[in-house]
Amino acid sequence: MSSEHHDTADAPPLTEKIAPGTASDPSTGSDAPATVTVDGQEVSVTAGSTLIDAIEAVDTDEYVPALCHYGREGIGPRSECRTCMVDTDAYGVVPACSFPAEDGLRVETDASEASQARDVNFDLVLSNHNLRCTTCGKNGRCELQDGAIEQEIEEPRYGVLDDRDEYEPLDDSSSFIQIDRNKCILCNRCVEACNDVQVEGVLRVEGSGNDTRIGFQSDVETMEESTCVSCGHCATVCPTGSLVEKGIEDATTIPLPGFTQKNSIGKSHENTGKTKGPMTPKKRQQETTEPQMDGGNDLVASADAAATEDNSPTDNWDDGESDWP
Amino acid sequence: MTVTNANREPIIRVSDSGPDRSLPTSVSTSDTIVEVGSTGFTTIEPLVMVTRNGTTSFYPQCSSAKLEDIVSAVNETGDVTAAEPDATVDHDPETSQLPVPEGIGLEPGVRDVTGACGWRRPTSPADHKAAGGFVEPDPEAVFDLGDQLRGRGWGDLCHDSSLTETWEAVRAGDGEKTIVVNAQGPDADKLLLGSAPFEVLDGAVALAHAVGGDQVVVYTSTENRHTIETVREAVSAYPDLSLPVDIATGPAEHRAAEPTMALEAIEGNHRLEARIGPPGPESAGLHGQPTLVHTPRTLAHLSVAFRHGEPRNTRMVTVRGDVEAPATVEVPETGTLKTAVDAVKLTGEFKAASVGGQFGGITDDLDIGVDPAALSEANLGTEGVVHLLADERCVVKFVGQRTRYAAEENCGRCVPCREGTTQLADLLRDVYDGTYEPSKMRELTTVMETSSICAFGVEAGRPARTAVAEFEAEFEAHADGRCPAGSCLETLEV
Ligand code: SF4
Ligand code: SF4
Ligand code: SF4
Ligand code: FES
Repeated sequence: MSSEHHDTADAPPLTEKIAPGTASDPSTGSDAPATVTVDGQEVSVTAGSTLIDAIEAVDTDEYVPALCHYGREGIGPRSECRTCMVDTDAYGVVPACSFPAEDGLRVETDASEASQARDVNFDLVLSNHNLRCTTCGKNGRCELQDGAIEQEIEEPRYGVLDDRDEYEPLDDSSSFIQIDRNKCILCNRCVEACNDVQVEGVLRVEGSGNDTRIGFQSDVETMEESTCVSCGHCATVCPTGSLVEKGIEDATTIPLPGFTQKNSIGKSHENTGKTKGPMTPKKRQQETTEPQMDGGNDLVASADAAATEDNSPTDNWDDGESDWP
Repeated sequence: MTVTNANREPIIRVSDSGPDRSLPTSVSTSDTIVEVGSTGFTTIEPLVMVTRNGTTSFYPQCSSAKLEDIVSAVNETGDVTAAEPDATVDHDPETSQLPVPEGIGLEPGVRDVTGACGWRRPTSPADHKAAGGFVEPDPEAVFDLGDQLRGRGWGDLCHDSSLTETWEAVRAGDGEKTIVVNAQGPDADKLLLGSAPFEVLDGAVALAHAVGGDQVVVYTSTENRHTIETVREAVSAYPDLSLPVDIATGPAEHRAAEPTMALEAIEGNHRLEARIGPPGPESAGLHGQPTLVHTPRTLAHLSVAFRHGEPRNTRMVTVRGDVEAPATVEVPETGTLKTAVDAVKLTGEFKAASVGGQFGGITDDLDIGVDPAALSEANLGTEGVVHLLADERCVVKFVGQRTRYAAEENCGRCVPCREGTTQLADLLRDVYDGTYEPSKMRELTTVMETSSICAFGVEAGRPARTAVAEFEAEFEAHADGRCPAGSCLETLEV
């Protein structure tokens, strides 16, 4: 996945410098074609398959949301949402989206531990989601919404992100793509689409813990300032209303008087007026003056900055007297 | 000069792990002073030991002035006890392990895998050779011994599990194979690399030969400067080293010890997150090649096992927290937590212990065995770190802090850990507002355990889960607006 960047004729210098911030995962598909049993039904899958391929092929006893699973175009498995946990006879509870389909494996979707894990993890996803479907551009065609309906979630146990102080400003600066990180489930599809498929090297994952977010490799704050070429691939793969193509961000919004996707947050990064064409100013400047991609130096600098930030001077194994609660 | 043969002239050892290393290694005209590593018992350091003809005298917490006195007294009289030592012990003149005297607090535990610590010069091949080191066991012997050992610490790819199955996978694999020595972990690993680096390197080199490894990478935090320096010296002094041994560093972060994040750091990724698997690093590790990741503890146990023909059944345990000074002690597996705790002085009455590292289990029972089976049985961790809490400590506050630390320090990749730790910290905070929901906490920690990608998330809920089980009354008291330890008062009064 993210570690393997095939050199294409027009982009070799870029691939060298792509720093998506994600791990170099091994490929997790099975080595050979396999037949597995899912809830008592035998399923044969091709080489390179994971358990989710078998699960998707049959009607399972219980619903397996598998929110971050994409399974196309070489994107994923990111295996981060853990709403695809299933029970296996040989390995216990495993994530179906990234577990190799091993011949003879017996999979149960309704085992209580797996079922509980899917349920709790789905609610954990929602706990950090600004669940305002009525003003959302993806209302009605959102994978998270579909999953929540199918999972019959009525009241998520940890609530939803509704503390306005915690909202990240909406990035409305680009004329082509809007980012609302309050709806991001960190599935990484956009980052992989941008780096591995389009080889543009714009998006990355940054931060850690509850500060983990989608950001820009050129270390800027907004989409307009980034090196984005407005190919729109990220918005196409995004399962939620987090990355939406401009012009349709309000397309499916239920017309509530005075409510739009934008003012649902209350704060946003606006377009500075410098952007005219599909390329952001930064990208245009690169294309004309520095064909080698000036992100190179930026990348090094940002890596250093991240490292310094990370290096807390305190003893990592003893947080001693920090304030609590 | 080999230490063990230098018995006719007195030899003066200085053991000091302190950051400033204040004691000079050359005093007046004497050149018989040698620097040795820490004994693991930091409270008595700087420790000066004077040895001659099978007698050693001990001067704990020694100042430079005192060292001057010792040197001149010993030079004048030739008597190792001339400068009023705190303790003296008679021993085999050829001993390659620290002889333990009575009376200065060095008694707890044994000195087997840690035998070199505080006695042999860390980077002296002669000292290591005299102790029976630099053996080159054949691959089958390595596998035989590995069969009887388990990996030690969460930074070990085979944490608490069998080694040889993973070794077989690497031996059978193709490609450029690497043995990573993961020294990002706790004090015990730093102690071994700083005081007995050859024990660790011997294990790594023999293992590399046994599995057809091409290189060894010693990985530690950028902040462990002393470790890095010592390892560098030991590598260049290692006789006839048959494969490259490199040193790589990662950020001083708790998560950087996780085996796959260690690989990410060594590969130079600027952001560390865990990799998914299977397959694990044994088939797709460093740069996608077969890789083993072991802690210095695992490797030192392996190399000491070569010499004895069988493994030493001991555990290294660091005791810290409300203590005068932390200590790292080697405890026989038949011993209990009490044996380890005897190595330190508590700064109050004992109340509880967090056993098993950053995300250890909370208990008030020290009569629990230190072997992994007994610890797991008691819901405690096997990381080899015991954090003691004195009676003025509030357990609710302690686990709250540990949980918040988990919420801030996780890599951010998976939902059960990234969002789970945040929700768990919130549930713990809610206790202060009168809402105590133990079953909700149990459900959450169970899911974190069953579905997190790496051991960070699997273990992050343990402090809260075990504290709720062991100290229920304290949680209930907080929900009623009282902190029995009196340390959360301000919060509760508001
Ligand atoms: S992304 Fe939009 S439509 Fe989807 S669940 Fe979130 S708010 Fe609702
Ligand atoms: S922005 Fe969309 S595609 Fe990108 S990580 Fe977030 S949810 Fe996934
Ligand atoms: S368990 Fe925690 S540290 Fe490990 S991958 Fe998940 S978020 Fe990262
Ligand atoms: S679909 Fe498997 S972890 Fe998200």
